[in-house]
Amino acid sequence: MKWLLFVMVFSVEAIAQMRIVALPGKSPVVTLRLVFTTGAARDPEDKPGLARLTAEMLTGGGTKDLTYNQIVDAFFPMAASVGSQVDLEMTTFSGATHVDNLEAYYKLFRSMLLDPGWREDDFKRLKDSAINSLRVGLRGNNDEELGKEVLLSELYRGTPYGHYGVGAVSALQRITIDDVKQFYKQHYTQSNLILGIAGGYTPAFLDRLKKDFGALPAKDSAPALAIRPPAIAHTHAMIVEKNTRSVAYSLGFPIDVRRGDPDFPALLVMQSYFGQHRESGGRLFQRIRGIRGINYGDYDYIEYFPRGGLVLEPPPNVARSSQAFQIWIRPAEPPQAAFTLRLAVFELNKLVKEGIPQEDFDRTKEFLSKFVNVLTKTKRAELAYAIDSLYYGIPNYNAYIKDALAKLTRDQVNAAIRKHLRADRLQIVAVTDHAADLKRQIVGAGPSTIEYNSPKPAEILAEDKIVGAFDIGLRAEDVEIVPVEKVFE
Amino acid sequence: MIRLCLLLFCAVFLASAADPPSKTFPFPYTQEDLANGLRLVTIPTDSPNLVSVFIVVQTGSRNEVEPGKTGFAHLFEHMMFRGTDKYSPQKYDETLKRAGAASNANTSSDRTVFHTTFSKEDLPTILAMEADRFENLKYSLEDFKTETGAVLGEYNKNSANPGSKLEEILADTAFDRHTYKHTTMGFLKDVQDMPNQYDYSIKFFDRYYRPEYTTIIVAGDVDAKQTRALVEKSFGNWPRGSYHADIPVEPKQQGPREAHVDWPSPTLPLLTIAYKGPAYSDASKDSAALDVFATLVFGQSSELYQKLVVREQKLDSLGAGSPSSVDADLFTINARLKHVEDLPAIRAEILAAVKRFQDELVPADKLEAVKKRERYGFTMRLDNSESVAQTVAEYVALRRTPDTIDKLYAQYGQLTPEDLREMARKYLIESGRTIVTLTGATAAGAGK
Repeated sequence: MKWLLFVMVFSVEAIAQMRIVALPGKSPVVTLRLVFTTGAARDPEDKPGLARLTAEMLTGGGTKDLTYNQIVDAFFPMAASVGSQVDLEMTTFSGATHVDNLEAYYKLFRSMLLDPGWREDDFKRLKDSAINSLRVGLRGNNDEELGKEVLLSELYRGTPYGHYGVGAVSALQRITIDDVKQFYKQHYTQSNLILGIAGGYTPAFLDRLKKDFGALPAKDSAPALAIRPPAIAHTHAMIVEKNTRSVAYSLGFPIDVRRGDPDFPALLVMQSYFGQHRESGGRLFQRIRGIRGINYGDYDYIEYFPRGGLVLEPPPNVARSSQAFQIWIRPAEPPQAAFTLRLAVFELNKLVKEGIPQEDFDRTKEFLSKFVNVLTKTKRAELAYAIDSLYYGIPNYNAYIKDALAKLTRDQVNAAIRKHLRADRLQIVAVTDHAADLKRQIVGAGPSTIEYNSPKPAEILAEDKIVGAFDIGLRAEDVEIVPVEKVFE
Repeated sequence: MIRLCLLLFCAVFLASAADPPSKTFPFPYTQEDLANGLRLVTIPTDSPNLVSVFIVVQTGSRNEVEPGKTGFAHLFEHMMFRGTDKYSPQKYDETLKRAGAASNANTSSDRTVFHTTFSKEDLPTILAMEADRFENLKYSLEDFKTETGAVLGEYNKNSANPGSKLEEILADTAFDRHTYKHTTMGFLKDVQDMPNQYDYSIKFFDRYYRPEYTTIIVAGDVDAKQTRALVEKSFGNWPRGSYHADIPVEPKQQGPREAHVDWPSPTLPLLTIAYKGPAYSDASKDSAALDVFATLVFGQSSELYQKLVVREQKLDSLGAGSPSSVDADLFTINARLKHVEDLPAIRAEILAAVKRFQDELVPADKLEAVKKRERYGFTMRLDNSESVAQTVAEYVALRRTPDTIDKLYAQYGQLTPEDLREMARKYLIESGRTIVTLTGATAAGAGK
């Protein structure tokens, strides 16, 4: 049975509009997903991390009537919770419960979001946790995610996107509970709310949900966001120096294409051909890992994709009005690291110059037309994608992708590649132990060499010579070395 | 059908608060054995147009019995993507692409799982292609050596995390003879030596990639009869093997052990207190009781968690559990501290909590809440064909049948506070204990 998607606009009053995405069904599980179209891009300049800390206070702290302990206890037998996710322009609260427990679950959900307790001890715990997640979780333990987040912060330096959503250590230490309350009051409004629900709820329950969240202030007074990333004049590299075994890379640049734009489907085909996330068929993966065995994997992106080391499918509800093209090169052994970077940029250059071959175009189109069903295989995912579609002003995501792909030609893809991609004016981020050595090896024309543990075909060895001498256009004066302790500090 | 089944389950569940538990796994399924020993489990669900195929090989790092060969089961997971005469790696990828498939694989101590989710019309193609690589995998010495580079790359990406190192040291310290002494990733020296082990890799394939070690789970928009015919056609001629691994028996631990890891970078201190626990069992209460004990004494709603994480805020995280393994494995309690000077006090508090519940009984109402939670949690995760197949794969790796799920949940349902105390007394003993700590080069985190 095909479930109907109801997208309704519910007017509370003339000025305030709460948007509703409802996917009724017979499932005994009810899924709630409330997305506020606000987030870390609204952090005050001197207080990065405020948006995330605000959401954390709602889901990881007590309410007016209940302590956090009491909430955890109440959720416990239901095997339920309320989760939050904060991105630059979206703050998501999600949870699911068996319909048996809906009444008890919703009572907690409602009071967590609408009647927060703002307790100092919760605040201290969550602030510590944010700082630990920066210093230990990101900087200490996850070189790859660190590289990606530093890349995005650099690409948007000086704009509301130019910081990491978790914040910076010194800023988190400055944030007070009054800041959090103020952020909540200003941005948790009906005009920012997309209220999503799926599963076996009743129409009366939906009415109650609308009425309850109709108590939020009507409108956010913040002006609309206008993100204009700074131009990159020359390829620039930031090398983050830390004690680690290998070298992780992320590189890219902002693109002027997002879901709903005419060139989005064309770039989606490019992305999948060049480096579909965590699949072995992508061009980058094949050339770097498949043939040469250099590292664990190599992928590319045209939309933000957090936690890629942990998840196989893109997390929804991280929609952004500005997106970046990014290449993710998983850690390489230091002796092969310079060559690996040259190889990635060499392949990007080839992609821009030659485009996508016809056979690969046909195959990738077929893949994406079917893969979209995999992405939306759960009610939870269907709901989340519907919310993103509302944000981007596109129809149902599956229909949007399938219709666009059916009409797409190879020429259109190649034209979009030429228009939006390039192999120069890149921002490169490397995480490594020996920054000065790496700098010396990646500036200018090399040559960088590679040695293998087994014989390679003559055409690969010949290509290696070309790659090793491939000048990625990086000048010594455009390389910045930063000790890890300074990153997001 | 999912919805119907879940509703039925729900009705059963509600009615059974005081009755003996009945079916926990809500889907009707078909389980069949081919003449060569291959097992097929087909689970029709109502995921429209989608099918998930999970192929479970009951071989993991537990089967790495020769010295110097740790990490081989995992390497082999990689080698399975290196092609056959009929399907080169490129053709394999192209076929998956045409099917719009999401595909990957993973390895643990007891099993290697290959999984693919795709449109139902591609089931015959995918099964034929999978059968071909399980029967006819063929790779050159050069390809083998190249792939060992990717495995070293995987070790490298994991090595940035101090938790990986702690896990490695814990296993090495706690076990003397059993192959659980090494992690699935293997020791670095063995990973670095992998390029020299081509011949052994052929032997490994010949031993373990055999029908009697393998179960195919097909879940989603499928028909059991048609699926059986397809599997028979593709996998029916795969010859049975004859190898049985002689897994070394772990001698009884005779006293407490300790180890410490100095981590070269700043990080938060880690403390792991582990005990030799039971093997997975659906026929006795041991493993079920310790699972519940872990939740009640160290889980988010436990007194200890609320004290140390929420109120006193000395810990950043606290949790416990055991991995449901084929052989007796470790029950571990893991804590991440904010201040290194708290290590002795936290260690004492955790040991005191273990001791306390060897003397006292857990409150009966708390135990009932855990039982309820386990069953709601289990039902709610089965919301699509992929998660159904994945869940079944975890149990198939242990007992080769989804039947074990209902048996295990029957054990959960019968647990009493006395059972928990008895199992804590039996397994959480000082002579079977291993404590590992890890501290960074300098302090890190919010506390400093």
